[in-house]
Amino acid sequence: MKKIIVYTLSTCPWCRKTKNYFAEHNIPFTYIDYDLADEASQKKISKEVDAAGATGFPFVKIGEEVIVGYQPERYSIALGI
Amino acid sequence: MSEKFIRAISANEVAPGGMKAIELDGNEIVICNCGGNYYAIQRRCGHMNAPLEKGTLDGTYLTCPMHCIQFDITNGEALSGPVLPNFGQEIPSPMFGEYLQNIGILMKDVRTESIRTYTTKLEAGWVQIAL
Amino acid sequence: MNIQSRKKALRYFFEKVVGPLGFKFTPDADLMEFLLEQEVKLESKHGIPFCPCQPLRDDRIRDMKIVCPCIPFHRKHFDIIKRCWCGLFVHKDVLDPNKLPQLSPKEVGIE
Repeated sequence: MKKIIVYTLSTCPWCRKTKNYFAEHNIPFTYIDYDLADEASQKKISKEVDAAGATGFPFVKIGEEVIVGYQPERYSIALGI
Repeated sequence: MSEKFIRAISANEVAPGGMKAIELDGNEIVICNCGGNYYAIQRRCGHMNAPLEKGTLDGTYLTCPMHCIQFDITNGEALSGPVLPNFGQEIPSPMFGEYLQNIGILMKDVRTESIRTYTTKLEAGWVQIAL
Repeated sequence: MNIQSRKKALRYFFEKVVGPLGFKFTPDADLMEFLLEQEVKLESKHGIPFCPCQPLRDDRIRDMKIVCPCIPFHRKHFDIIKRCWCGLFVHKDVLDPNKLPQLSPKEVGIE
């Protein structure tokens, strides 16, 4: 199973939908609410998000693949379901 | 108890979208003209007493010039809090930075109160206010 | 501060800015209410109504680009996807906002 990490914001409804997608499909994932994280974590995430050329959340990593924005069809394809 | 209206200013002394500060019977009041409708509010901001007529009026929303608090002039409600100085990386010296921090600490507990409004009426080209 | 009153004021101010840019509030009323409420809370915390779906960087120049409405700073991107990032605003001709996917600038050939 591919490792799934999601960077989200506690204020963003699309991030909530993204979390729900993985929960509803019973897919284990970890998420970090960037706005509630400590400074060090925020710096780290910021760097990673910049490197991927993204500006908004949700920032979804399925294995090595990065998907920015709430895109359930792409999540399904990446997961092979 | 019926309200007693006092003649304040001539209606054409305040242009549409404009404001004028007056004193009526010891009360500092700002008269606002919103598209021909006249509103009267207390002159002093409910935060740190800045003169509101020096702010900006957009529709029935007034923004205080000092810390950008916005009020609804129809009922005096404070809609937002103060925008306190945040100089980020622009602090010119550590001493100034410390000074700003101290100001911030002093201002932190200052509450923003809603402002008093006065009933107005337009009669024969005069704005009248009930005190 | 009363959240509903503040939301009403933000709606008034934002409408004046986004209208001339060709945008309107999303017809999805629930989404609009939720996003505006988040912005009121962000404004309460930071003094500025930031976008609820973009991260603050603690860099004033970058953060100013996500002050709502942030359409002018992402004009090309948002004109292509016909919505702003969080979806509070959509192009005036949009009837069903659910048909607008949340595509990043890279995906639509920008940057």
